[in-house]
Amino acid sequence: MAPSAIVERARAAGLNAIAITDHNSALNSTALHDVCSRYDNFFCLYGMEMTSVEEVHLLALFDDHKSALDFGEFLYPMLADIPNNPDRFGDQVYVNADNEICGECDKYLVGALSCSMDELLVETHARGGIFIPAHIERPSFSIMSQLGFVPQGDYDALEQHYHYIKNNNYDGISLNAGGHPCTTASDAHYLDDIGRGFIEFEADRLTVAGLCDSLRRGGVVCRAV
Amino acid sequence: MKVSELCERLGASAVTGPFDDRDVTKVYTSDLLSDVMGFAEEESLLITIQAHKNTIAVASQLDMPAIVICNGRKVPDDMRESAVQEKITLLTTKDSQYTASTKVYLALSGA
Repeated sequence: MAPSAIVERARAAGLNAIAITDHNSALNSTALHDVCSRYDNFFCLYGMEMTSVEEVHLLALFDDHKSALDFGEFLYPMLADIPNNPDRFGDQVYVNADNEICGECDKYLVGALSCSMDELLVETHARGGIFIPAHIERPSFSIMSQLGFVPQGDYDALEQHYHYIKNNNYDGISLNAGGHPCTTASDAHYLDDIGRGFIEFEADRLTVAGLCDSLRRGGVVCRAV
Repeated sequence: MKVSELCERLGASAVTGPFDDRDVTKVYTSDLLSDVMGFAEEESLLITIQAHKNTIAVASQLDMPAIVICNGRKVPDDMRESAVQEKITLLTTKDSQYTASTKVYLALSGA
């Protein structure tokens, strides 16, 4: 998905904030940052969807794209040394704001890191990020599918899959297992997916600190269309 | 041993037809796809409970002839469709991975 197309599609879907979370890589963060800067009142959090050694998908989000890039660089050596097969799994390119290809990731990005969930949580927080286990009820790559329960942890939120929010006719603030607050998202892998799941909360601008605060106060509403 | 013969020995059901009824000489069992990608040999039979589409992608990458889904786990439609597309035979069994692995081991060692 081209960064400019992502932002256009998000704005068309009525969103004024997004988070970018490519698998185990933040290399497209700069492009997103540059595109978002062209708009007033449109915000972005930058991060990754990490795969822990337990094969749980986990979101790390940062205020600025440089923090996300640093974290991505730190994690890359811990990704399994399996080369990507573009014919089978698609290209793993990163682009600039004008959608020109800047480079390509050699390692298969949907593989697992050699770090545990706990280690990734500690590292994300140490770098000022927000840590949210992804799509926790999904039958694959979720805390529930991989571990069968939600272990104690200092998660900032648990992300419910938009599918479950939509089908349960969910409307309102949710508190999840262990009293953790809840978020949701589109988990968009294609442009048409953008906006199918989103959160609403009040803030002057989108920051990790502001989002964490809203989550703690129960001020985040999950929606799915 | 041919996939179809192994299917019989396992008492398993084929969710997709056996395509080229290929020979199985190697087997791997794991429920972490990263582990399968890292350590399974090409053309081995996979024994797992990971009944989702991503398993097909990994099996295809390793040119696996078939996957045995254990513990009576249901195969979702998109996984089955993907298996058909990639020409990987999908077998399901109520047996645990341990029992299925034992049966396959015995079959392949000529017992």
